[in-house]
Amino acid sequence: MSFSEADVQGALKNLIDPNTRKDFVSGKSVRNIKISGNDVSLDIVLGYPARSVWNEIRAIVEAHLKTALPGAGGISANVTSKVVSHAVQHGAQLVDGVKNIIAVASGKGGVGKSTTAINIALALAAEGARVGMLDADIYGPSQPTMLGISGQPETSGGNYMLPMTNHGLQAMSIGFLIDNDDTPMIWRGPMVTQALDQLLRHTRWDDLDYLIVDLPPGTGDIQLSLAQQVPVTGAVIVTTPQDIALMDARKGLKMFEKVGVKIIGVVENMSTHICSKCGHEEHIFGSGGGEKMCADYNAEFLGNLPLDIRIREQTDSGKPTVVADPDGNIAKTYKQIARRIAIKVAEMTQSHSTVFPKIVVQNT
Amino acid sequence: MSGHPTEIKLHQQSRLLEITFDDGACFQLPYEFLRVYSPSAEVKGHGPGQETLQVGKKNVGVREVLPVGSYAVKIVYDDRHDSGLYTWEYLYELGQHQADLWQNYLEWLAAAGGSREPGSEPEAKSGCGGGCGHA
Repeated sequence: MSFSEADVQGALKNLIDPNTRKDFVSGKSVRNIKISGNDVSLDIVLGYPARSVWNEIRAIVEAHLKTALPGAGGISANVTSKVVSHAVQHGAQLVDGVKNIIAVASGKGGVGKSTTAINIALALAAEGARVGMLDADIYGPSQPTMLGISGQPETSGGNYMLPMTNHGLQAMSIGFLIDNDDTPMIWRGPMVTQALDQLLRHTRWDDLDYLIVDLPPGTGDIQLSLAQQVPVTGAVIVTTPQDIALMDARKGLKMFEKVGVKIIGVVENMSTHICSKCGHEEHIFGSGGGEKMCADYNAEFLGNLPLDIRIREQTDSGKPTVVADPDGNIAKTYKQIARRIAIKVAEMTQSHSTVFPKIVVQNT
Repeated sequence: MSGHPTEIKLHQQSRLLEITFDDGACFQLPYEFLRVYSPSAEVKGHGPGQETLQVGKKNVGVREVLPVGSYAVKIVYDDRHDSGLYTWEYLYELGQHQADLWQNYLEWLAAAGGSREPGSEPEAKSGCGGGCGHA
């Protein structure tokens, strides 16, 4: 019995990608179908980095085709990932070497924004993506410590800096450019926004799928100029379940909505405290706050993380949890959150609602 | 939120900004109308009742329209006014209530003894508080 390319497409329409919860055809993942005799070969190109599940997906696809196409001989699916660039606004200056910019923000300080940002970045990198980290916290840069990087970046071509690298990430922070850890940046708003712009645009980012921007807390100068001057793909809001943090997180979310930056979702940090002595788990800051916030604003709840002493110790020592204990439960949670983010970003790049309108000048 | 625009067309001869939204709405907004309703602090002040009446803008031109993030445009006029950020929402509102807003402007202008004709600019501030002293 023979079959056609359409049969293969038809069969894959009924197979749901467990990660995106969409079928492979409408997810535009099926490419390059070749039929020779009874043998079928095809490529599955995922829009999100997923090195750890390529084999699993290959097995699902091959098994499905085997049952759907009676009489088929050899079936071989080649699974890869390719991250697509965010739809660019007409006229907006793109950042060279960056496909997608993801802002990590919170209303309130101290909720674990930087820790979450770095672990998400490392989780994306672990799945095979090219990832950068921009520390936009000019007054309190944390990323040099968390990434375990010291020293100063090299310059390139006079006007550019090369990003510093560690754990497979490219990184830039004002912290790399000042002499001592205790040197304060005593700057007013305009200086700070200019510094951010330089860190972003005068770093030679090398072919990044994602640039994670670790924002300072609040809804002020830095957040606003990022939203106005940079083609941000979307924002991730970090909060704790505590009412006082949620109040500010809601403001952060509303600010991004007002300036047209899409909300990717909400991460709840410090959801429970796990006692390092007895392992007892307790909702010390209350429970369900992040989920409720998401329900109120129709945002996606990306996941929650415990208040665990290991996260703090590992991250403070320059080896965040995702690289210090890559197979542990906490790293697994970060990886799940990172995959949700990547899938959401891939969906956003397919919809054109975020594209800036065309501006036409006519002599009429 | 109202629709997202798909195209902005500047008709430089007829001094009209034509904006089309993804819900099908399409508005033709004269440059003068946009200029006198600029959302900047210079025009709007810092709250209701602080508006400054704009006069003499009948022939105002637009030099360029610049994107701001993905939520607004900045319109640069040839009278050097460029501090207004027109969000999609605001442009939609201007389009929907164009007739009423224009009538309001004409009445205010008449009450204040101002004129749309260029050259009538000097010191024609309104009786309504006069803004905050921004330029």
